[in-house]
Amino acid sequence: MKRRFRIYYPFVNAGMQQVTTYRVDWIFYLLGNVVHSLVSFFIWQAVFLSGSEETLNGFTMPQMIVYFFLIFISDTMITSDASMMIAEEVRDGSIAMRMLRPVGYNATFLFFELGGKLLTQIVLIVPVVIGVEISRFVLSGVVQFSVLNLLLFFVSTILAYLINLFFSICFGFLAFVIKHIWGTNIMKNCIVSFCSGAMVPLSFMPDALKTVFMLLPFASLNYTPVMIYMGVYQGADLLFYFGLQIFWALFFWALSKLLAMVSAKHLTVQGG
Amino acid sequence: MRYIRSLAHFIGRLVRIHRIFVAQEIKRMVEYKADFFIGMIGFLMVQCSNLLMLWIIFNSIPTLMGWSLPEVVFIYGFSLIPKGLDHLLYDNLWMVGSTIVSKGEFDKYLTRPINTLAHVLFEKLQVDAIGELVMGIALICSVLPQISVEWSFGKILLGLVSMFFSTYIFTGVKTLTASVSFWRKRSSNIITLGYKFANFTKYPATIYNEFIKNLITYIIPFAFTSYYPSVYILTGDNPLFNVGVTVLVSVLVMGSGVIVWHLGLRAYESAGS
Repeated sequence: MKRRFRIYYPFVNAGMQQVTTYRVDWIFYLLGNVVHSLVSFFIWQAVFLSGSEETLNGFTMPQMIVYFFLIFISDTMITSDASMMIAEEVRDGSIAMRMLRPVGYNATFLFFELGGKLLTQIVLIVPVVIGVEISRFVLSGVVQFSVLNLLLFFVSTILAYLINLFFSICFGFLAFVIKHIWGTNIMKNCIVSFCSGAMVPLSFMPDALKTVFMLLPFASLNYTPVMIYMGVYQGADLLFYFGLQIFWALFFWALSKLLAMVSAKHLTVQGG
Repeated sequence: MRYIRSLAHFIGRLVRIHRIFVAQEIKRMVEYKADFFIGMIGFLMVQCSNLLMLWIIFNSIPTLMGWSLPEVVFIYGFSLIPKGLDHLLYDNLWMVGSTIVSKGEFDKYLTRPINTLAHVLFEKLQVDAIGELVMGIALICSVLPQISVEWSFGKILLGLVSMFFSTYIFTGVKTLTASVSFWRKRSSNIITLGYKFANFTKYPATIYNEFIKNLITYIIPFAFTSYYPSVYILTGDNPLFNVGVTVLVSVLVMGSGVIVWHLGLRAYESAGS
């Protein structure tokens, strides 16, 4: 354990340093995501102002605000650049260097991103949660904040990040087959964003679709953590959805290991 | 007179050079057909997912703050065309902010006998954008029977004029934000942030509060890339503001982009290796 810590700590540190060196870039990246979530906020506010009903598909207006700002946190948290990093390394051949190093291939991505993620979370969670809870209090007149749900949300987004990281690593290996990984990556992000509930809450979708997205890894990425924060999942449900998240994280972890092994056999690097 | 002739000569030369670059790009494209196809489908899918969202929304409400579904789709479709044109022709600015300057590759442009900005703009053709353009045209065509608009030759002409000029609002904002990399080496996230404000203009500006509305009208004027021209086409109201100011804003934004780019060149130091 101590040895592992010594091996991977430089990666965590490098990740943090990348964020602090390119601070301005990082702040603008976060602001960009804020803009994105404001667009969702306004369009859904307009939906509630245009409709006559108090609740739409089980959501009230204050709940919708909580939903989209928490989606903003989980969506920022789960983002992983691993697939693009792998694609770039396959293209320029530096993947050979990474594979030669005496460290786990997947683990280097994990620990590198972990550094930046930690900083991002610390900066985001506090102001967003305070803002969301104040607006919910003003709109509904009741304090609904629960520390337990916030902690469970945090654990759940970490699981969601692991699912997405290992999924992105698997996806990155596509670069061995497809050269235009950039366009494929846009498709992937689009599907993930829609099916995970980042654009429309899954409860707005037709029942059949909702069931499929809930069981596939999609809901585990965004919808599940936010539902946990909102206290929708309790008792057996809560355990079931946590179990599902752990299952998908392990599934993609195993798949990424397998793909790393297979592609190492097929790897031919030109030049150097 | 002499200035006009030399300006005409300058523009003529740029157009000729642009044609040569595009011809090169098309050769590259034919070489990697599958890749371009994938990128195009990717962008089509992004648009489809947004439309699915609109459709789901309109399943629970009849109108969005007074706008019907066909009208919202029209504004959405209109927004895709200038965005797609800018994306098709001038996408290379992203690379300036992400890698060209920070990896020291910008020196190449300084040694060529072409204006650096023109060279960067003309160098790449991003065919992925055809997905957006096709979608934009298809959406506008599909809602035409459902919206009651009095068409006239003048209106169609003004619509096309505003599409052309609003393309350069996108290019201008991208040039401004990409220029930051001359001072800071990297600016991809600043470009992304500037560009993300365009998301506001996919939907009618009346759904936003006054602050956002003023922001996208006066500060980062993306509302002119779709909302204001669409309002003119849908209602026939106030062409002087809805179209005239679009043209004015486009010239201002692109003009300041060109100026800031050249200021940045003076501050530029190679990151070379």
